[in-house]
Amino acid sequence: MSAPEVYNIAQVPITSHAFNANRSEVCVSLNSNEAQILGKQGSEWVAKETLSEHDKIITSIDWAPNSNRIVTASQDRNAYVWSQAPDPLTGQMIWKPTLVLLRINRAATYVRWSPNEDKFAVASGARAIAICSFDPESDWWVSKQLKKPIRSTVLSVDWHPNNVLLAAGSADMKARVFSAYIKDVDKKPQASVWGEKLPFNTVCGEYSSSSGGWVHAVGFSPSGDVLAFASHDSSITIVYPGAPAVITIKSMTLPYTTLVWTSEDSLVAAGHDCQPILFQGSETTGWKAVGSLDDTTAPKSSGGGRQSAVGRLNSAAFNTFRNADTRGQTSLPGMPGAGSGGESELMTVHQNTISTIRAHAGAPSQVTKVSTSGADGNLVIWTTNAVSGLVGRMSGLRM
Amino acid sequence: MSNVLKNYLAAVRATLTAALTLQDFSSQVVERHNFPEVEVRGSKEVLLNALTISRNENERVFIEPSINSIRLSIKIKQADEIERILCHKFTRFMMGRAESFVVLRRKPIPGYDISFLITNTHSETMLKHKVVDFIIQFMEDVDKEISEMKLSLNARARTVAESYLSMFGS
Amino acid sequence: MILLEPHNTIIRTTVLEKIVKPSALDVQFVDFDGVRFHLSTPDSKTTLLLSMHIRCWNELVQYGALDVLKREYGSLLAATAEPDYNVSLEIDLNQAPPEGEQRDDFVRKLSLLKTNAVAAPFERAFKTQKQLEANPPPEGSQSELMAIHYRDEEAIYIQAASDRVTVFFSTVFREETDRIFGKVFLQEFVDARRLSALQNAPQVLYTNREPPLELRGVPGLTLSDDIGYVTFVLFPRHFTKPDVAEATITHIQLFRDYLHYHIKCSKAYMHSRMRARVSEFQKVLNRAKTEVATTERKTISGRTMQSR
Repeated sequence: MSAPEVYNIAQVPITSHAFNANRSEVCVSLNSNEAQILGKQGSEWVAKETLSEHDKIITSIDWAPNSNRIVTASQDRNAYVWSQAPDPLTGQMIWKPTLVLLRINRAATYVRWSPNEDKFAVASGARAIAICSFDPESDWWVSKQLKKPIRSTVLSVDWHPNNVLLAAGSADMKARVFSAYIKDVDKKPQASVWGEKLPFNTVCGEYSSSSGGWVHAVGFSPSGDVLAFASHDSSITIVYPGAPAVITIKSMTLPYTTLVWTSEDSLVAAGHDCQPILFQGSETTGWKAVGSLDDTTAPKSSGGGRQSAVGRLNSAAFNTFRNADTRGQTSLPGMPGAGSGGESELMTVHQNTISTIRAHAGAPSQVTKVSTSGADGNLVIWTTNAVSGLVGRMSGLRM
Repeated sequence: MSNVLKNYLAAVRATLTAALTLQDFSSQVVERHNFPEVEVRGSKEVLLNALTISRNENERVFIEPSINSIRLSIKIKQADEIERILCHKFTRFMMGRAESFVVLRRKPIPGYDISFLITNTHSETMLKHKVVDFIIQFMEDVDKEISEMKLSLNARARTVAESYLSMFGS
Repeated sequence: MILLEPHNTIIRTTVLEKIVKPSALDVQFVDFDGVRFHLSTPDSKTTLLLSMHIRCWNELVQYGALDVLKREYGSLLAATAEPDYNVSLEIDLNQAPPEGEQRDDFVRKLSLLKTNAVAAPFERAFKTQKQLEANPPPEGSQSELMAIHYRDEEAIYIQAASDRVTVFFSTVFREETDRIFGKVFLQEFVDARRLSALQNAPQVLYTNREPPLELRGVPGLTLSDDIGYVTFVLFPRHFTKPDVAEATITHIQLFRDYLHYHIKCSKAYMHSRMRARVSEFQKVLNRAKTEVATTERKTISGRTMQSR
């Protein structure tokens, strides 16, 4: 079993991350109004460029692999499309922003390019999803809104491979499948299990998990015929619209906030439990959690990167005394931490909520690696076949 | 630690861990604002059912979860007037220092002695499980501290009375 | 230091010093219960004038304070008190007793000026008790209730009966904490007498809000939760022998100060305890923080340094 590649990017949360096509660069947002392009140097990710145009926290980033464009969405109600162009002064390639006319009046929460990269969808707190397409005549991105019947903030979206259908999960506890058909952009879509005639804003399906809960993440399977969504009641629901069948996998863990399909019969979900869990199954056999990609048998916290002090005061002795002073902790070996409460230790690679999971390597129908980023500032790349036995949160948490 | 207390704290720990599943959530009522939803209560659908964990009628914890913040209020045991005043002094002392206790609310909600407001920012900048540790340790130690203060007050009163009256000896 | 000293340390040390080395002097200072002292050398370096102002002087005079002071200080007592003060002593340093026990006694007596002044009503009560014991009064009659309003809202009441002298203190607890702490202390005073070693101590009774029966009808009593009444019942064994009587008077005078002193000490102790506990909690919370914790830096005036 190959160990996951762990990169500590920052001490602050990574709100979102997106790799470029050849995985040599990653665009991350460190819980701020700026996004950073990091390039890999040896075993480290080094900042190359900063994308600063937003004036509030960036909530989501997507990087179109083929057209090499980045789209960012922010709580300032705006989205920008960034494309590389030569700097008129130096001739270097730099990222240039283009404002998108979203016409939403609340925060943009999530953004994804469509598979053909000619559209993108921006979820928002305005109870709407803006479907944006490029208008070559006026040379800007225009949007059309999906509104009905969304009743609360949309938390996530995912595109169907046919470039027309869009799944959305929202805080009104529903996952829905919409048609985001734009006449000038799309060819007439072929009939699928989701429906035949698909004008804009057709609701092809509306689902909720058995006990409700905000829908944190949605995802179409590689073929587009199955929809999975994760909701706040700690369940993953798999929808087969053809049958129709709805399978809910309930779990004892904390809710999942993000998921990705790794093949037609498996997906990886992660979230507040701080570890990615692999689920497998099919319409006939049912679904179950197979195991964790994380080996939660050994403690991994207090790793080197975490206690990085600055400057001349970065000495072991200084840290020992400072920890004793500010935290009442003794870091001497064999001495348990002070305090009678019993320190709990998380045995996972991520020490805080995982916020984003993405396919990293392999074809959509056979993903071999996934990348995760979370509130602990870590970016981790996992191999999907390295599954250790399923250990829930309670066993992962040692008192 | 008695078994009953252990169970009580375990229940609080599990509930709090489950409630601390917060995410950034920009207000859908006011443009470009980000509030703790549990405090403003602007959107019903992002609030979860509040629940009470009660050890007995005098000791209970009230947890109000929402999508980006939770409020946890504690009613501390107060058996008599002395414990009541000591508890009041202690919680007031602590709430006066709410700045350094980032998760502490400056004012308890009615019916409780002390309230904590934990938002997604706190759960992002701090390790969630350690925040839970803090709350649990606080609950454990505050009872201990108050009864120790009460004991020390009684012990002092006794010594003081005895030394005074012993001067009238003979 | 559990017990309070009955004498005034400033008088003691200053006079001792001046006897050895006379020099010009003018100091004003205070004692418990708002008593003001003035120690000066108005005429010559060797003549000290010690003046005292006490709030309840008129009451004390009424109960024979001047007689007591005359007895104690004799010729030292000035014929007229310094303006703004109630009583003055003129001390000729040249005539101070020689070094040793005698001088210590002399100085000690001076430093007990306040105690001696307040002692008057007690002595009077003890005398009255003797008379009553010898000639039992008719059933139902009560002897005089002496009131000494030694503080703005607090007073000592003394009453003699044929077999006892009862001393009542009314004391005010300004805030709730004081009231509750005071209750704990006073309860211990009541309970402590059950110890066999303290069987001989005066009986202590404590009531809150309601004045004791003997005080009902006394004008000027305010009915409030903040006020506590403490009753000491002194039996002849506490004052028959002159030296015991003196000790009793001295101790009982200091009761109110003693009680409040210890309430304040307890509050200070609680405060330092809370400070320590809260900083412990802070440490536990700091363990949760992921970023390297920076200690708060404060300037000497207590302002927090911030980097902007």
